[in-house]
Amino acid sequence: MNPIKTDLLQGTLDLLILKTLATGPLHGYGVSLRIQQISKNALQVRQGSLYPALHRLERRGWIAAEWGDSENNRRAKFYRLTRTGRRQLEVEETNWERLAVAIRQVLNEA
Amino acid sequence: MNSNSHHEKDHDFAFESRKGKIRLWLRKLFHVKQFDRELVSELQFHIEHVIEANVRSGMSREEARRAALRDFGGVELAKEECRDERPTRWLRDFFQDVRFGLRMLRKSPGFAAVAVLTLALGIGANTAIFSVVEGVVLAPLPYRQPDRLTVVLQRNLTQNYDADLSYLDFLDWQKNNHSVQEMAAYQQLGFDLTSPGSPEHLDAAAVSANFFHVLGVNLALGRQFLPAEDVQGGARVAIITDALWAEKFSRSPNVLGQTLTLDGANYSVVGILQPGFSFAYKSDVYVPAGQGDISLLNDRSIHGTACIARLKDGVTLEEAHADLNRVQGNLNQLYPTIDRGLATTVLPLKQFLVGNIGSTLILLLGAVGIVLLIACANVANLLLARSAARSREFAIRLALGAGRGRVIRQMLTESLFLSLVGGAAGLLAANWGLSAILAVLGGELPRQSNITVSTSVLLFALGVSMLVGILFGIAPALKNSSVDPQRSLTERGGSGTRAQHRVQSTLVISQVALALVLLTSAGLLFRTIRRLWQVNPGLNPQNVVTFQIGLSPSIINSAPGIRNAFQQTIARIQQIPGVQSADLTSVIPLSQADNTGPFWIGPQPASLAQAPRAIYYEVGPAYLQTMGIPLLRGRFFTPQDAITSEPVVVVDDALARRYFPNGDAVGQRLTIAHWATARIVGVVGHVKQWGLGNSHRLSQSQIYISFYQLSDMWVPLFRGSMAVVVRTTSDAGALMPAIRATVYGSNDNEPVYNVQMMRDVVAETMAPQRLPMMLLGAFAALALLLASIGIYGVISYSVTQRTREIGIRIALGAESRKIFGMVIAQGLRLAIAGLAVGAVAAAILTRVLSNFSHLLYGVRTNDPLTFVTVSIVLTGVAVLACYIPARRATRVDPMTALCND
Repeated sequence: MNPIKTDLLQGTLDLLILKTLATGPLHGYGVSLRIQQISKNALQVRQGSLYPALHRLERRGWIAAEWGDSENNRRAKFYRLTRTGRRQLEVEETNWERLAVAIRQVLNEA
Repeated sequence: MNSNSHHEKDHDFAFESRKGKIRLWLRKLFHVKQFDRELVSELQFHIEHVIEANVRSGMSREEARRAALRDFGGVELAKEECRDERPTRWLRDFFQDVRFGLRMLRKSPGFAAVAVLTLALGIGANTAIFSVVEGVVLAPLPYRQPDRLTVVLQRNLTQNYDADLSYLDFLDWQKNNHSVQEMAAYQQLGFDLTSPGSPEHLDAAAVSANFFHVLGVNLALGRQFLPAEDVQGGARVAIITDALWAEKFSRSPNVLGQTLTLDGANYSVVGILQPGFSFAYKSDVYVPAGQGDISLLNDRSIHGTACIARLKDGVTLEEAHADLNRVQGNLNQLYPTIDRGLATTVLPLKQFLVGNIGSTLILLLGAVGIVLLIACANVANLLLARSAARSREFAIRLALGAGRGRVIRQMLTESLFLSLVGGAAGLLAANWGLSAILAVLGGELPRQSNITVSTSVLLFALGVSMLVGILFGIAPALKNSSVDPQRSLTERGGSGTRAQHRVQSTLVISQVALALVLLTSAGLLFRTIRRLWQVNPGLNPQNVVTFQIGLSPSIINSAPGIRNAFQQTIARIQQIPGVQSADLTSVIPLSQADNTGPFWIGPQPASLAQAPRAIYYEVGPAYLQTMGIPLLRGRFFTPQDAITSEPVVVVDDALARRYFPNGDAVGQRLTIAHWATARIVGVVGHVKQWGLGNSHRLSQSQIYISFYQLSDMWVPLFRGSMAVVVRTTSDAGALMPAIRATVYGSNDNEPVYNVQMMRDVVAETMAPQRLPMMLLGAFAALALLLASIGIYGVISYSVTQRTREIGIRIALGAESRKIFGMVIAQGLRLAIAGLAVGAVAAAILTRVLSNFSHLLYGVRTNDPLTFVTVSIVLTGVAVLACYIPARRATRVDPMTALCND
């Protein structure tokens, strides 16, 4: 399947990032890679959207950043989910489910 | 997901998140560069990984790099968007606005210069006047808890005026009141100092021992008076000012215990005041009040003592007034022949010191505020004109997605920048202006030493600048940000909207109206002063000089010695060539000095306080001809009127008409308190003692007594107040050196001081009008200048806008005279509209300023002549302002005008 280069809606991208970080801290490249992998290349986040989103989430306090060493011993900025971030993730996931169900219903009916 | 996280306590989430947010915010605020560096390395890290991935999937390194950058979607854009997420965006935007504004202003330096100059004038004038208001009216007095300090005066209920009280009454007030923490007495004196150093006359004060304690000031050196010194026979001690210490003792630290010889007696210095100390009246030396002449202090009917009081905590002015009235009431009962009919008046000390000047100054602040409004209108018009030229620029910005708020913010930043620069320049101008004001008018202002550019003044200038910037910036800002991009981008070169022209015209009309108000006020005061000069003061002040002389300490306690010394000195002065006549007087007319006392005709009234009042002049026989006061009936004094002959008086015709309306005053008898019952031998013309315009003060009756008929007891007491008046054939000032030489000739210990020309004394009475007139005149001139610039600007701009129309008219054959007239007429229309509005405004304001009318004399506040004159001047200036643009209009070349886009 060809990767969909979509400019994801801000909120959706936030959800994906939070979910990706739920399993453990990652740097920015790692996040985009993980999203690509898990979606089986369906979603390729534009880097130009990723980093503003990361900084936005950081400002909201849902993720926290720390400089550390990467796998190849290079300095990288790692992001991790905070406690409030975890709660937000739950909220966003719930909302997303509801939204998906609603859209599916409309598509079935119409 | 870790299930433990669900059971974490709620407040921990909030705390951690908030702490993190604040840390992040702070970090981003203060580590701008570091943030950028981090961001760059973060992005670099990412890009390098993508490049590696691309290389691994088969691309060349160069291809990989290009692909990675392409994917990234513009590194700079990403950086920019990341930066936008930073919470400190507004700060960055602000600096950008400032840089942008600076660039814009550099591009049009002419506009910037005019705007800054206009603002500097307006803000500078306001700052200068505010400095005066702050120093005189607003700043607290330099004493401890100054709002608790009051001046207590004794009120004469029959004659309805406030005055000093007797020392005995003061002591009783002190003893019997319940509302005052402490009170002190204050008597104005003068001393002739003969040592150390050269002889000179000193202004002095006799005060209670606790006087400085009541004020709450500390001495710089030494101690205050002791109660033991504040009584008859107490040790002769003195406290001197820092200035006197510097002059006589060179600020030697050994000054305490050194001696001053004052009026022949030796006083030991026990204290030095702080350098900045000042009280109501200038005094170089202070001595204890209780040591004064016993005959003055022990006479309850002699009122020579002033009283200051510090109220108890929590006591209001009204409560103190009631309490002191009670005390005085008891005294009235105890001494009915002297005190009955007296009460008290309690005034805050500041009000007593500042007096009427306070309201005049506030009025002047309002006037100068009007000047600032006119200046702002000019700058607003300038900005409007310029914004029309920049409308394309803003249209583009708006089309590119700049928010309306952003554009407004940028324009306001520009205006604020202009106004702050104008304010800074204005501060410099204010400094200079303040020095000028103090140099010319300083003597008429109380608390003059307190007038400086202080911190509050700086804050005022800053606040006014910012307010002004927002005021004139808001209209162009709103207008520009709502520009319809489509329209202005396709429009031909900006022909100016109707609305804009309306706004500009309104601004100019208001300018003219405000200028009219100021010019009229200045004109009214000017006419007042002219009218005052035309008033006959009752004497001839031309070529008359007055001064005081000290006498040798060996004779100052001897009445015959004093009489002799004065007589001889006068005789010698009369011998000087160029001197027409000379003699003594105890009160110089129109000098604001007060020598009021009771008198009666017939039986003594029940209480002295209820007796009629007159001003007493103790004079020599040649006084009348020296002053040029007309003799109406009978005779004046002669050398034959001496201590041994019958007591005689001369009265003025106000007294004569009031008390002897049917017959001749000459030959009648009247009784002067503390002196004698005397026969009236002459009636002279009335002298306007309280000022040329002032006709409602109480003591209009004037009584003349021969100095040489005063009893031996009184002569030494009057010695210090006696002045010499000399009439010369030509310039009196030129003769002063000869007069000084004659006075010094007999005894080196006789200083000559308080030299004044009589015409300056008369001019001094107009001081309350002179101060506002000069300042208002300056403001009115400034307003006129600014308004004319405003008219010029608007008409000139209009001519530029109408170039096409004018070109067409000329091409169709209109004469240049018609074009010229058309432009002038446009300006005239604005001016006349402004005059109309101004007339209405002035009419309304006169109601508000009715308490201003005490300053006017001989003119009503709605004086038609002033109004007409000012209107003509304004119209003329308006026409003049239109002249250049009108000429420019006639020179329009139809061809270029029509081809010009």
